[in-house]
Amino acid sequence: MHSAKYSIIFLTMLCVVNLSAQIPQGFTPIFNEKNLDGWHISRTTHQGTTLGCEVKDNAICITQKPFGQGGVLLSDKKYKNFELYLEAKVDSMSNGGIFIRSSESGIAYQIEIDENAGSTGSLYGERMTVSRSAVAKDRAKVWKANDWNSFRIRMTGDTPRITLWINDVQMWEVQEPKNDFIAGTTSGMIGLQAHWTALYAPASGEWNGLTSWAPGAVHRFRNIAIKEIDEISE
Amino acid sequence: MKFKGLISFLLLFIFIKAAAQPPAYTNTFGMQFVLIKPGSMIVGKFQPTVGNVDFEGKPLPEKMVKDATAMAKKDAMPGFKVTITKQFYIGVYEITQEQWKKIMGSNPSVFKSDSSAKQPVENITWNDAQSFIKKLNATDKNHVYRLPTEFEWEYAARAGAQDDIAWKEIFASAVLGGNTPSAGGTKKPNAWGLYDMPGNVWEWVEDFYNEKIFADAVPPHSGQQHVLKGASFTGDVKNATYMTHAGGPGNGFDIGLRIVMEENGE
Repeated sequence: MHSAKYSIIFLTMLCVVNLSAQIPQGFTPIFNEKNLDGWHISRTTHQGTTLGCEVKDNAICITQKPFGQGGVLLSDKKYKNFELYLEAKVDSMSNGGIFIRSSESGIAYQIEIDENAGSTGSLYGERMTVSRSAVAKDRAKVWKANDWNSFRIRMTGDTPRITLWINDVQMWEVQEPKNDFIAGTTSGMIGLQAHWTALYAPASGEWNGLTSWAPGAVHRFRNIAIKEIDEISE
Repeated sequence: MKFKGLISFLLLFIFIKAAAQPPAYTNTFGMQFVLIKPGSMIVGKFQPTVGNVDFEGKPLPEKMVKDATAMAKKDAMPGFKVTITKQFYIGVYEITQEQWKKIMGSNPSVFKSDSSAKQPVENITWNDAQSFIKKLNATDKNHVYRLPTEFEWEYAARAGAQDDIAWKEIFASAVLGGNTPSAGGTKKPNAWGLYDMPGNVWEWVEDFYNEKIFADAVPPHSGQQHVLKGASFTGDVKNATYMTHAGGPGNGFDIGLRIVMEENGE
């Protein structure tokens, strides 16, 4: 009787461990699962200055606010050489991304998240040209649609070398030929982006960008943790 | 009758004083100003656009467009009328690196080189801007210099335009893209002769930031940050419009200022 009871407790514990996250050993959480202490909204990104963001079910949930205005949530702290771990669950038809070494206005190397475009895991630049981009060709083999997927991103060096793992499988490694940042920046914030879709007024022109963020779409991030790496000799 | 006469005299006095203000003025430091006359504008009129096709022109699902249209309608804002009651002079250009150095003795800019004298000063905080103005005021006793209020800045940037600025016009008038700011005045001026209102570097204004998409009709009396206007060379046509209401601290390397001048004793 007792052993059956312990077995149930043990199985329940296993389930809980399995459902919740697995921050890798040696990483330090940079999100406390309760509130957005340690994070702030970019007030100068062109994506929008009033990003919708809240903590729900131990995850940061970002969305447009008001309609058509996206934005970027930034870590208060800047990082230079690091590995970032997080888990993301994203709605379809919404374009966002994980910014690394981001400036306050969201100029950054970006790990794209866009299930509709099929570009999740691509390396792009946000408001800067990236010398060498990358595509996560094997993502489909490990990706869990409409579910949590883990991203591990390693970024080191004044001339950045960037590596991406999705669900523990390496997707690519890129050695940039030069530092692409404006003003030669070699450190920056972690950023989570929701794309804009609407102009302030029709007088600005025509813009058919609704596919960049479907009405009410949400990107969720949890178990956000970082491991800073000692100075890398290039 | 006496009262009527007094009113007429006062009106005449105001008229003569107004007429006496030249439309343009250059101070002893070579800073050029344009006189901005009183008037009104609507601030914060939000009419979010909704496209019904994707980037390739294919129709989007009907429900998606319907939902988006409803959300856009719900979030739209009529804006509010702002009247500028007093004329003021505003800088034709953003303050340059050489002008800053002349007053402050040093140049804090990140994009500094042998040929950057005419580029806008950048890498300055709101407090740095205030220090510059304080020193300028101590040097030129004939005028009072200050940052524009957000409404003064936006009114001058709109130059009579009531609606938002068209993308074609933004491309023509704003320094956008590239890896550095440009020397002042390389793009088309606005209808009142002001250069680089959108683009090049963000510009500090006097007001505290309210952390909302647009200004409040009555700006806050306190806050953590101050308002930035106009976007910078790192911006986009999306935000290089006079409607954008942003807040510090920003990147630093793309943040400068433009100043307002009043005659001492006004």
